[in-house]
Amino acid sequence: MQWFSRASQIQKVSHRLAGAGLFCNLTERELKIVDGFVHDRQYLAGEVIFDAGEEGQALYVIVSGKVAVCLPGKHETPVAELTTGDFFGELGLLDSWPRSAQVRALETSEIAVLFRGDFERLMESHAQIASKIAMQLARHLGQRLRLMLAQTAEGNAQA
Amino acid sequence: MMPARNAYRAGPVVWAAIIAGTCLILFIFQKILWLVLPFVLALIIYYVLLPVKLRLVLGGMSHDSAAGWVSSGAFALIVLIGVLGFPKLLTETVTWQDSAGRYLNGGLQFLTASVVQMETRFEMLAQAKASAEMARQIADFSGHFAEKYVPTIAMTIAAWSPSLILAPFLAFFMLRDGWRFRKFLTRAVPNAYFERSLFLMDQVDRTARLYFIGLIELTLLDTFCLAGGLWLIGVSGPLQLGLLTAVLAWVPYIGSILGCLLVVLVAATDFPGDPNVAYAAIALFVFVRLLDDFVFMPMTIGKSLNMHPLLTVLMIFVGGAVAGVPGLMMVLPVLGVVMVLGETIGMLVNDPRLRARHAHERALRQQLVTRDLTLP
Repeated sequence: MQWFSRASQIQKVSHRLAGAGLFCNLTERELKIVDGFVHDRQYLAGEVIFDAGEEGQALYVIVSGKVAVCLPGKHETPVAELTTGDFFGELGLLDSWPRSAQVRALETSEIAVLFRGDFERLMESHAQIASKIAMQLARHLGQRLRLMLAQTAEGNAQA
Repeated sequence: MMPARNAYRAGPVVWAAIIAGTCLILFIFQKILWLVLPFVLALIIYYVLLPVKLRLVLGGMSHDSAAGWVSSGAFALIVLIGVLGFPKLLTETVTWQDSAGRYLNGGLQFLTASVVQMETRFEMLAQAKASAEMARQIADFSGHFAEKYVPTIAMTIAAWSPSLILAPFLAFFMLRDGWRFRKFLTRAVPNAYFERSLFLMDQVDRTARLYFIGLIELTLLDTFCLAGGLWLIGVSGPLQLGLLTAVLAWVPYIGSILGCLLVVLVAATDFPGDPNVAYAAIALFVFVRLLDDFVFMPMTIGKSLNMHPLLTVLMIFVGGAVAGVPGLMMVLPVLGVVMVLGETIGMLVNDPRLRARHAHERALRQQLVTRDLTLP
Protein backbone atom coordinates (compact mmCIF):
# COMPACT_ATOMS: atom_id res chain seq x y z
CA MET A 1 0.00 0.00 0.00
CA GLN A 2 2.82 2.33 1.00
CA TRP A 3 4.71 1.33 -2.14
CA PHE A 4 1.62 2.04 -4.22
CA SER A 5 1.09 5.47 -2.69
CA ARG A 6 4.77 6.35 -3.18
CA ALA A 7 4.66 5.16 -6.79
CA SER A 8 1.55 7.22 -7.50
CA GLN A 9 3.22 10.22 -5.87
CA ILE A 10 6.23 9.83 -8.20
CA GLN A 11 3.89 9.53 -11.16
CA LYS A 12 2.13 12.75 -10.14
CA VAL A 13 5.45 14.55 -9.63
CA SER A 14 6.71 13.43 -13.05
CA HIS A 15 3.59 14.75 -14.78
CA ARG A 16 3.96 18.00 -12.90
CA LEU A 17 7.44 18.64 -14.34
CA ALA A 18 6.60 17.21 -17.76
CA GLY A 19 4.40 20.26 -18.39
CA ALA A 20 7.41 22.59 -18.30
CA GLY A 21 8.94 23.63 -21.62
CA LEU A 22 12.45 23.22 -20.24
CA PHE A 23 11.88 19.53 -19.50
CA CYS A 24 9.81 18.66 -22.56
CA ASN A 25 12.53 16.38 -24.01
CA LEU A 26 12.98 14.32 -20.86
CA THR A 27 11.58 10.79 -20.37
CA GLU A 28 9.63 9.74 -17.28
CA ARG A 29 12.75 8.20 -15.71
CA GLU A 30 14.79 11.30 -16.43
CA LEU A 31 12.07 13.52 -14.95
CA LYS A 32 12.15 11.39 -11.82
CA ILE A 33 15.86 12.08 -11.47
CA VAL A 34 15.43 15.80 -12.13
CA ASP A 35 12.68 15.84 -9.51
CA GLY A 36 15.28 14.80 -6.93
CA PHE A 37 17.26 17.94 -7.77
CA VAL A 38 14.49 20.61 -7.81
CA HIS A 39 12.97 22.43 -4.82
CA ASP A 40 9.28 23.30 -4.47
CA ARG A 41 8.24 26.77 -3.35
CA GLN A 42 4.91 28.50 -2.97
CA TYR A 43 4.57 32.26 -3.50
CA LEU A 44 1.54 34.36 -2.60
CA ALA A 45 0.01 36.96 -4.92
CA GLY A 46 2.15 40.12 -4.76
CA GLU A 47 5.18 38.39 -3.29
CA VAL A 48 8.59 39.17 -4.79
CA ILE A 49 10.29 36.02 -6.11
CA PHE A 50 13.55 37.78 -6.85
CA ASP A 51 14.74 41.35 -7.29
CA ALA A 52 16.58 43.03 -10.12
CA GLY A 53 20.24 43.38 -9.21
CA GLU A 54 20.19 40.27 -7.03
CA GLU A 55 22.88 37.67 -7.72
CA GLY A 56 21.27 34.88 -9.75
CA GLN A 57 21.73 31.34 -8.44
CA ALA A 58 18.75 29.41 -9.78
CA LEU A 59 16.22 28.85 -12.55
CA TYR A 60 12.46 28.93 -11.75
CA VAL A 61 9.82 26.78 -13.46
CA ILE A 62 6.14 27.68 -12.98
CA VAL A 63 4.24 24.51 -12.03
CA SER A 64 1.00 26.44 -11.49
CA GLY A 65 0.03 30.10 -11.21
CA LYS A 66 1.12 33.29 -12.90
CA VAL A 67 4.04 35.69 -12.42
CA ALA A 68 4.96 39.12 -13.76
CA VAL A 69 8.36 40.29 -14.96
CA CYS A 70 8.81 43.92 -13.89
CA LEU A 71 11.39 46.64 -14.35
CA PRO A 72 10.74 48.92 -11.34
CA GLY A 73 11.68 52.52 -12.08
CA LYS A 74 11.65 51.96 -15.87
CA HIS A 75 8.19 50.57 -16.66
CA GLU A 76 5.11 51.07 -14.52
CA THR A 77 3.42 47.96 -15.95
CA PRO A 78 4.92 44.45 -16.13
CA VAL A 79 7.00 43.83 -19.27
CA ALA A 80 5.86 40.20 -19.44
CA GLU A 81 3.51 37.75 -17.79
CA LEU A 82 4.45 34.11 -17.49
CA THR A 83 2.16 31.21 -16.72
CA THR A 84 2.14 27.44 -16.04
CA GLY A 85 4.95 25.61 -17.88
CA ASP A 86 7.02 28.76 -18.47
CA PHE A 87 10.38 29.29 -16.83
CA PHE A 88 12.40 32.37 -15.87
CA GLY A 89 15.70 33.37 -14.26
CA GLU A 90 17.45 31.03 -16.71
CA LEU A 91 20.66 33.10 -16.78
CA GLY A 92 21.06 32.33 -13.06
CA LEU A 93 21.75 28.75 -14.11
CA LEU A 94 24.74 29.89 -16.15
CA ASP A 95 26.54 32.48 -14.01
CA SER A 96 26.23 34.81 -10.99
CA TRP A 97 25.41 37.90 -13.07
CA PRO A 98 22.85 40.19 -11.35
CA ARG A 99 19.21 39.57 -12.26
CA SER A 100 18.05 41.96 -14.99
CA ALA A 101 14.44 42.24 -13.78
CA GLN A 102 12.21 41.75 -10.78
CA VAL A 103 9.74 38.87 -10.78
CA ARG A 104 6.54 38.97 -8.68
CA ALA A 105 3.77 36.41 -8.25
CA LEU A 106 0.48 37.68 -9.70
CA GLU A 107 -1.47 34.89 -8.04
CA THR A 108 -0.61 32.10 -5.63
CA SER A 109 1.99 30.13 -7.57
CA GLU A 110 3.74 26.79 -7.23
CA ILE A 111 7.31 27.10 -8.48
CA ALA A 112 9.97 24.40 -8.99
CA VAL A 113 13.47 25.80 -8.49
CA LEU A 114 16.56 24.30 -10.10
CA PHE A 115 19.62 25.62 -8.30
CA ARG A 116 22.87 26.11 -10.23
CA GLY A 117 24.88 23.90 -7.83
CA ASP A 118 22.32 21.11 -8.32
CA PHE A 119 22.43 21.57 -12.10
CA GLU A 120 26.24 21.22 -11.97
CA ARG A 121 25.84 18.03 -9.94
CA LEU A 122 23.31 16.83 -12.52
CA MET A 123 25.89 17.49 -15.25
CA GLU A 124 28.47 15.42 -13.33
CA SER A 125 26.20 12.48 -12.55
CA HIS A 126 23.71 12.51 -15.45
CA ALA A 127 25.37 14.26 -18.37
CA GLN A 128 22.70 13.14 -20.85
CA ILE A 129 19.81 14.67 -18.88
CA ALA A 130 21.79 17.87 -18.22
CA SER A 131 22.66 18.17 -21.92
CA LYS A 132 18.95 17.83 -22.87
CA ILE A 133 18.08 20.62 -20.44
CA ALA A 134 21.02 22.74 -21.62
CA MET A 135 19.97 22.26 -25.25
CA GLN A 136 16.40 23.34 -24.49
CA LEU A 137 17.79 26.33 -22.57
CA ALA A 138 20.03 27.26 -25.51
CA ARG A 139 17.03 27.08 -27.89
CA HIS A 140 15.06 29.37 -25.57
CA LEU A 141 17.92 31.87 -25.33
CA GLY A 142 18.34 31.72 -29.12
CA GLN A 143 14.67 32.57 -29.62
CA ARG A 144 14.98 35.52 -27.24
CA LEU A 145 18.11 36.74 -29.02
CA ARG A 146 16.38 36.55 -32.41
CA LEU A 147 13.38 38.43 -30.98
CA MET A 148 15.64 41.14 -29.55
CA LEU A 149 17.52 41.47 -32.84
CA ALA A 150 14.23 41.76 -34.72
CA GLN A 151 12.97 44.43 -32.30
CA THR A 152 16.25 46.37 -32.62
CA ALA A 153 16.09 46.19 -36.42
CA GLU A 154 12.45 47.35 -36.31
CA GLY A 155 13.42 50.25 -34.01
CA ASN A 156 16.27 51.28 -36.33
CA ALA A 157 13.97 51.13 -39.36
CA GLN A 158 11.40 53.39 -37.64
CA ALA A 159 14.15 55.86 -36.63
CA MET B 1 16.26 48.77 -12.12
CA MET B 2 17.85 48.29 -8.74
CA PRO B 3 21.62 48.73 -8.55
CA ALA B 4 23.70 45.56 -8.34
CA ARG B 5 24.60 44.86 -4.75
CA ASN B 6 28.24 44.96 -3.76
CA ALA B 7 29.87 41.60 -3.08
CA TYR B 8 29.71 40.99 0.66
CA ARG B 9 32.99 40.60 2.55
CA ALA B 10 32.98 39.31 6.11
CA GLY B 11 34.25 41.85 8.66
CA PRO B 12 36.24 41.31 11.88
CA VAL B 13 33.11 40.61 13.96
CA VAL B 14 32.00 37.83 11.60
CA TRP B 15 35.53 36.39 11.53
CA ALA B 16 35.75 36.44 15.34
CA ALA B 17 32.40 34.60 15.40
CA ILE B 18 33.71 32.07 12.84
CA ILE B 19 36.82 31.29 14.92
CA ALA B 20 34.86 31.19 18.19
CA GLY B 21 32.24 28.95 16.54
CA THR B 22 34.94 26.58 15.25
CA CYS B 23 36.50 26.32 18.75
CA LEU B 24 33.08 25.70 20.32
CA ILE B 25 32.22 22.97 17.80
CA LEU B 26 35.62 21.29 18.34
CA PHE B 27 35.07 21.41 22.10
CA ILE B 28 31.62 19.80 21.71
CA PHE B 29 33.03 17.26 19.22
CA GLN B 30 35.64 16.21 21.77
CA LYS B 31 32.82 15.42 24.22
CA ILE B 32 30.86 13.36 21.66
CA LEU B 33 33.80 11.90 19.78
CA TRP B 34 32.14 8.45 19.87
CA LEU B 35 29.50 9.89 17.51
CA VAL B 36 31.70 12.26 15.47
CA LEU B 37 34.17 9.60 14.32
CA PRO B 38 31.55 7.20 12.88
CA PHE B 39 29.82 10.22 11.31
CA VAL B 40 33.03 11.26 9.53
CA LEU B 41 33.61 7.66 8.38
CA ALA B 42 29.99 7.52 7.20
CA LEU B 43 30.50 10.74 5.21
CA ILE B 44 33.53 9.21 3.44
CA ILE B 45 31.55 6.01 2.64
CA TYR B 46 28.61 8.17 1.44
CA TYR B 47 30.72 10.20 -0.98
CA VAL B 48 32.33 7.01 -2.34
CA LEU B 49 28.99 5.19 -2.88
CA LEU B 50 26.86 8.15 -4.04
CA PRO B 51 27.85 7.97 -7.76
CA VAL B 52 26.91 4.26 -7.86
CA LYS B 53 23.53 5.02 -6.28
CA LEU B 54 22.83 7.80 -8.79
CA ARG B 55 23.76 5.46 -11.62
CA LEU B 56 21.14 2.96 -10.41
CA VAL B 57 18.53 5.73 -10.12
CA LEU B 58 19.21 6.61 -13.75
CA GLY B 59 18.73 2.92 -14.55
CA GLY B 60 15.13 3.22 -13.35
CA MET B 61 15.34 2.39 -9.64
CA SER B 62 13.75 4.49 -6.93
CA HIS B 63 16.07 6.39 -4.57
CA ASP B 64 15.19 4.00 -1.71
CA SER B 65 15.83 0.82 -3.69
CA ALA B 66 19.08 2.19 -5.15
CA ALA B 67 20.35 3.11 -1.67
CA GLY B 68 19.37 -0.34 -0.41
CA TRP B 69 21.09 -2.17 -3.25
CA VAL B 70 24.28 -0.09 -3.07
CA SER B 71 24.53 -0.46 0.71
CA SER B 72 23.84 -4.20 0.53
CA GLY B 73 26.47 -4.57 -2.20
CA ALA B 74 29.09 -2.69 -0.20
CA PHE B 75 28.22 -4.67 2.93
CA ALA B 76 28.41 -7.98 1.03
CA LEU B 77 31.80 -6.97 -0.37
CA ILE B 78 33.14 -6.21 3.12
CA VAL B 79 31.75 -9.50 4.47
CA LEU B 80 33.31 -11.38 1.53
CA ILE B 81 36.69 -9.76 2.13
CA GLY B 82 36.34 -10.56 5.84
CA VAL B 83 35.39 -14.21 5.23
CA LEU B 84 38.18 -14.73 2.71
CA GLY B 85 40.76 -12.70 4.61
CA PHE B 86 40.01 -13.75 8.19
CA PRO B 87 41.75 -17.18 8.14
CA LYS B 88 44.82 -15.60 6.55
CA LEU B 89 44.69 -12.75 9.06
CA LEU B 90 44.50 -15.24 11.92
CA THR B 91 47.54 -17.18 10.74
CA GLU B 92 49.49 -14.01 10.15
CA THR B 93 48.73 -12.45 13.55
CA VAL B 94 51.47 -14.51 15.18
CA THR B 95 53.89 -13.48 12.42
CA TRP B 96 52.89 -9.84 12.90
CA GLN B 97 53.62 -10.09 16.62
CA ASP B 98 57.07 -11.49 15.85
CA SER B 99 57.64 -8.88 13.16
CA ALA B 100 56.62 -6.03 15.50
CA GLY B 101 59.09 -7.27 18.12
CA ARG B 102 61.80 -7.66 15.48
CA TYR B 103 61.24 -4.16 14.05
CA LEU B 104 61.16 -2.64 17.54
CA ASN B 105 64.45 -4.36 18.43
CA GLY B 106 65.95 -3.26 15.11
CA GLY B 107 64.94 0.35 15.78
CA LEU B 108 66.29 0.28 19.31
CA GLN B 109 69.60 -1.19 18.12
CA PHE B 110 69.83 1.55 15.49
CA LEU B 111 69.12 4.19 18.14
CA THR B 112 71.68 2.73 20.55
CA ALA B 113 74.30 2.42 17.79
CA SER B 114 73.69 6.06 16.78
CA VAL B 115 74.09 7.29 20.38
CA VAL B 116 77.26 5.17 20.88
CA GLN B 117 78.66 6.62 17.66
CA MET B 118 77.87 10.15 18.90
CA GLU B 119 79.54 9.34 22.24
CA THR B 120 82.78 8.58 20.42
CA ARG B 121 82.62 12.04 18.82
CA PHE B 122 81.26 14.16 21.68
CA GLU B 123 83.10 13.88 25.01
CA MET B 124 80.18 15.43 26.89
CA LEU B 125 77.80 12.60 25.88
CA ALA B 126 80.39 9.96 26.79
CA GLN B 127 80.84 11.47 30.24
CA ALA B 128 77.09 11.55 30.79
CA LYS B 129 76.96 7.83 29.80
CA ALA B 130 74.07 8.66 27.46
CA SER B 131 73.92 5.23 25.79
CA ALA B 132 73.88 3.34 29.13
CA GLU B 133 71.14 5.61 30.51
CA MET B 134 69.09 5.25 27.33
CA ALA B 135 69.45 1.45 27.40
CA ARG B 136 68.28 1.41 31.04
CA GLN B 137 65.21 3.55 30.27
CA ILE B 138 64.32 1.46 27.22
CA ALA B 139 64.62 -1.75 29.26
CA ASP B 140 62.42 -0.22 31.96
CA PHE B 141 59.80 0.89 29.39
CA SER B 142 59.69 -2.41 27.50
CA GLY B 143 59.65 -4.41 30.76
CA HIS B 144 56.51 -2.70 32.01
CA PHE B 145 54.86 -1.96 28.64
CA ALA B 146 52.40 -4.85 28.75
CA GLU B 147 51.11 -4.23 32.27
CA LYS B 148 51.01 -0.43 31.86
CA TYR B 149 49.56 0.12 28.40
CA VAL B 150 48.02 -3.06 26.95
CA PRO B 151 44.87 -3.05 29.19
CA THR B 152 44.24 0.63 28.33
CA ILE B 153 44.67 -0.02 24.60
CA ALA B 154 42.39 -3.10 24.78
CA MET B 155 39.72 -1.13 26.71
CA THR B 156 39.87 1.74 24.20
CA ILE B 157 39.41 -0.67 21.27
CA ALA B 158 36.51 -2.40 23.08
CA ALA B 159 34.85 0.96 23.84
CA TRP B 160 35.21 2.28 20.28
CA SER B 161 34.16 -0.81 18.34
CA PRO B 162 30.36 -0.46 18.87
CA SER B 163 30.35 3.20 17.82
CA LEU B 164 32.34 2.41 14.67
CA ILE B 165 29.63 -0.07 13.68
CA LEU B 166 27.35 2.99 13.44
CA ALA B 167 29.28 4.24 10.37
CA PRO B 168 27.70 1.89 7.75
CA PHE B 169 24.20 2.53 9.19
CA LEU B 170 24.70 6.29 9.04
CA ALA B 171 26.07 5.98 5.49
CA PHE B 172 22.99 3.96 4.43
CA PHE B 173 20.58 6.59 5.77
CA MET B 174 22.63 9.39 4.20
CA LEU B 175 22.36 7.57 0.84
CA ARG B 176 18.63 6.85 1.23
CA ASP B 177 17.36 10.05 2.84
CA GLY B 178 20.12 12.63 2.23
CA TRP B 179 18.27 14.34 -0.66
CA ARG B 180 14.98 14.27 1.27
CA PHE B 181 16.69 15.81 4.31
CA ARG B 182 18.11 18.58 2.13
CA LYS B 183 14.65 19.35 0.72
CA PHE B 184 13.18 19.18 4.23
CA LEU B 185 15.72 21.74 5.44
CA THR B 186 15.12 24.11 2.51
CA ARG B 187 11.32 23.91 3.02
CA ALA B 188 11.85 25.53 6.43
CA VAL B 189 13.62 28.53 4.86
CA PRO B 190 11.46 31.62 4.12
CA ASN B 191 11.10 32.52 0.43
CA ALA B 192 13.14 35.72 0.76
CA TYR B 193 16.22 33.85 2.02
CA PHE B 194 15.68 30.74 -0.05
CA GLU B 195 18.13 31.28 -2.92
CA ARG B 196 20.89 32.46 -0.58
CA SER B 197 20.31 29.52 1.76
CA LEU B 198 20.51 27.08 -1.14
CA PHE B 199 23.82 28.66 -2.06
CA LEU B 200 24.99 28.24 1.54
CA MET B 201 24.01 24.56 1.67
CA ASP B 202 25.67 23.96 -1.68
CA GLN B 203 28.88 25.59 -0.47
CA VAL B 204 28.89 23.55 2.78
CA ASP B 205 28.29 20.33 0.84
CA ARG B 206 30.92 21.27 -1.75
CA THR B 207 33.49 22.14 0.95
CA ALA B 208 32.94 18.87 2.81
CA ARG B 209 32.95 16.80 -0.40
CA LEU B 210 36.09 18.43 -1.79
CA TYR B 211 37.84 18.09 1.57
CA PHE B 212 37.21 14.36 1.89
CA ILE B 213 37.90 13.63 -1.78
CA GLY B 214 41.06 15.78 -1.50
CA LEU B 215 42.12 13.83 1.58
CA ILE B 216 41.78 10.52 -0.28
CA GLU B 217 43.72 11.92 -3.28
CA LEU B 218 46.43 13.26 -0.98
CA THR B 219 46.73 9.89 0.76
CA LEU B 220 47.14 8.10 -2.57
CA LEU B 221 49.77 10.58 -3.82
CA ASP B 222 51.73 10.32 -0.55
CA THR B 223 51.48 6.52 -0.61
CA PHE B 224 52.83 6.17 -4.15
CA CYS B 225 55.65 8.69 -3.67
CA LEU B 226 56.86 7.16 -0.42
CA ALA B 227 56.39 3.59 -1.67
CA GLY B 228 58.41 4.37 -4.82
CA GLY B 229 61.24 5.90 -2.80
CA LEU B 230 61.31 3.06 -0.25
CA TRP B 231 61.30 0.50 -3.08
CA LEU B 232 64.32 2.24 -4.65
CA ILE B 233 66.17 2.21 -1.31
CA GLY B 234 65.32 -1.47 -0.90
CA VAL B 235 63.15 -1.35 2.23
CA SER B 236 60.71 -4.27 2.56
CA GLY B 237 56.91 -3.82 2.15
CA PRO B 238 57.16 -0.35 0.58
CA LEU B 239 53.50 -0.12 -0.46
CA GLN B 240 52.08 -1.14 2.93
CA LEU B 241 54.54 1.15 4.70
CA GLY B 242 53.73 4.05 2.37
CA LEU B 243 49.96 3.58 2.87
CA LEU B 244 50.24 3.31 6.65
CA THR B 245 52.42 6.43 6.83
CA ALA B 246 50.07 8.38 4.54
CA VAL B 247 47.06 7.45 6.70
CA LEU B 248 48.96 8.43 9.85
CA ALA B 249 49.61 11.84 8.25
CA TRP B 250 45.85 12.56 8.55
CA VAL B 251 46.74 13.68 12.08
CA PRO B 252 48.83 16.86 11.58
CA TYR B 253 52.34 16.87 13.14
CA ILE B 254 51.89 13.86 15.47
CA GLY B 255 50.98 11.57 12.58
CA SER B 256 54.05 12.66 10.60
CA ILE B 257 56.38 11.96 13.56
CA LEU B 258 54.85 8.50 14.07
CA GLY B 259 55.13 7.80 10.33
CA CYS B 260 58.81 8.80 10.32
CA LEU B 261 59.49 6.54 13.32
CA LEU B 262 57.81 3.66 11.53
CA VAL B 263 59.90 4.14 8.39
CA VAL B 264 63.12 4.33 10.44
CA LEU B 265 62.24 1.17 12.41
CA VAL B 266 61.68 -0.85 9.24
CA ALA B 267 64.76 0.53 7.44
CA ALA B 268 67.00 -0.06 10.48
CA THR B 269 65.73 -3.64 10.88
CA ASP B 270 66.06 -4.52 7.20
CA PHE B 271 69.66 -3.23 7.10
CA PRO B 272 71.04 -3.63 10.67
CA GLY B 273 74.66 -3.11 9.65
CA ASP B 274 74.07 -0.12 7.39
CA PRO B 275 72.71 2.98 9.18
CA ASN B 276 72.94 4.95 5.91
CA VAL B 277 69.77 3.21 4.66
CA ALA B 278 67.86 4.47 7.72
CA TYR B 279 69.25 7.98 7.14
CA ALA B 280 68.22 7.76 3.47
CA ALA B 281 64.71 6.68 4.57
CA ILE B 282 64.52 9.71 6.90
CA ALA B 283 65.65 12.02 4.07
CA LEU B 284 63.06 10.46 1.75
CA PHE B 285 60.34 10.87 4.36
CA VAL B 286 61.20 14.55 4.90
CA PHE B 287 61.26 15.09 1.10
CA VAL B 288 57.79 13.52 0.69
CA ARG B 289 56.41 15.59 3.60
CA LEU B 290 57.74 18.77 1.92
CA LEU B 291 56.20 17.68 -1.38
CA ASP B 292 52.98 17.02 0.50
CA ASP B 293 52.93 20.43 2.21
CA PHE B 294 53.95 22.58 -0.77
CA VAL B 295 52.71 20.70 -3.86
CA PHE B 296 50.14 18.00 -3.11
CA MET B 297 48.22 19.77 -0.33
CA PRO B 298 47.48 22.94 -2.38
CA MET B 299 46.51 20.68 -5.33
CA THR B 300 44.03 18.62 -3.29
CA ILE B 301 42.74 19.79 0.11
CA GLY B 302 43.86 23.41 -0.33
CA LYS B 303 41.45 23.81 -3.26
CA SER B 304 38.50 23.02 -1.03
CA LEU B 305 39.38 25.33 1.86
CA ASN B 306 40.61 28.47 0.08
CA MET B 307 41.89 30.18 3.22
CA HIS B 308 45.04 32.06 4.23
CA PRO B 309 47.98 29.70 5.03
CA LEU B 310 48.78 31.57 8.27
CA LEU B 311 45.19 31.15 9.47
CA THR B 312 45.35 27.45 8.55
CA VAL B 313 48.50 26.85 10.62
CA LEU B 314 47.24 28.91 13.58
CA MET B 315 43.90 27.10 13.58
CA ILE B 316 45.67 23.71 13.59
CA PHE B 317 47.42 24.76 16.82
CA VAL B 318 44.17 26.14 18.25
CA GLY B 319 42.36 22.89 17.32
CA GLY B 320 45.06 20.85 19.08
CA ALA B 321 44.84 23.04 22.19
CA VAL B 322 41.03 22.90 22.35
CA ALA B 323 40.39 19.25 21.49
CA GLY B 324 43.72 17.38 21.39
CA VAL B 325 44.44 14.92 18.57
CA PRO B 326 40.79 14.85 17.33
CA GLY B 327 40.96 18.65 17.23
CA LEU B 328 44.09 18.51 15.06
CA MET B 329 42.30 16.20 12.62
CA MET B 330 38.94 17.97 12.52
CA VAL B 331 39.88 21.64 12.73
CA LEU B 332 40.30 22.30 8.99
CA PRO B 333 37.05 20.75 7.70
CA VAL B 334 35.11 22.29 10.60
CA LEU B 335 36.66 25.70 9.95
CA GLY B 336 35.85 25.39 6.23
CA VAL B 337 32.17 24.67 6.94
CA VAL B 338 31.84 27.32 9.71
CA MET B 339 33.53 29.88 7.45
CA VAL B 340 30.90 29.36 4.72
CA LEU B 341 28.08 29.42 7.31
CA GLY B 342 29.41 32.56 9.02
CA GLU B 343 29.94 34.50 5.80
CA THR B 344 26.50 33.63 4.46
CA ILE B 345 24.64 34.35 7.71
CA GLY B 346 26.57 37.63 7.99
CA MET B 347 25.46 38.52 4.48
CA LEU B 348 21.79 37.63 5.13
CA VAL B 349 21.68 39.60 8.37
CA ASN B 350 23.29 42.64 6.73
CA ASP B 351 20.93 42.74 3.72
CA PRO B 352 17.99 45.10 4.54
CA ARG B 353 16.18 44.32 1.27
CA LEU B 354 15.98 40.58 2.06
CA ARG B 355 14.74 41.37 5.58
CA ALA B 356 12.09 43.72 4.13
CA ARG B 357 10.98 41.07 1.63
CA HIS B 358 10.63 38.52 4.42
CA ALA B 359 8.52 40.99 6.44
CA HIS B 360 6.37 41.59 3.33
CA GLU B 361 5.85 37.85 2.84
CA ARG B 362 4.78 37.46 6.48
CA ALA B 363 2.37 40.39 6.13
CA LEU B 364 0.85 38.81 3.01
CA ARG B 365 0.37 35.48 4.79
CA GLN B 366 -1.15 37.22 7.80
CA GLN B 367 -3.55 39.10 5.51
CA LEU B 368 -4.52 35.83 3.80
CA VAL B 369 -5.31 33.93 6.98
CA THR B 370 -7.16 36.81 8.69
CA ARG B 371 -9.23 37.91 5.69
CA ASP B 372 -12.52 36.49 7.03
CA LEU B 373 -11.80 37.03 10.72
CA THR B 374 -13.54 40.32 11.40
CA LEU B 375 -15.07 41.10 14.78
CA PRO B 376 -18.88 41.70 14.83
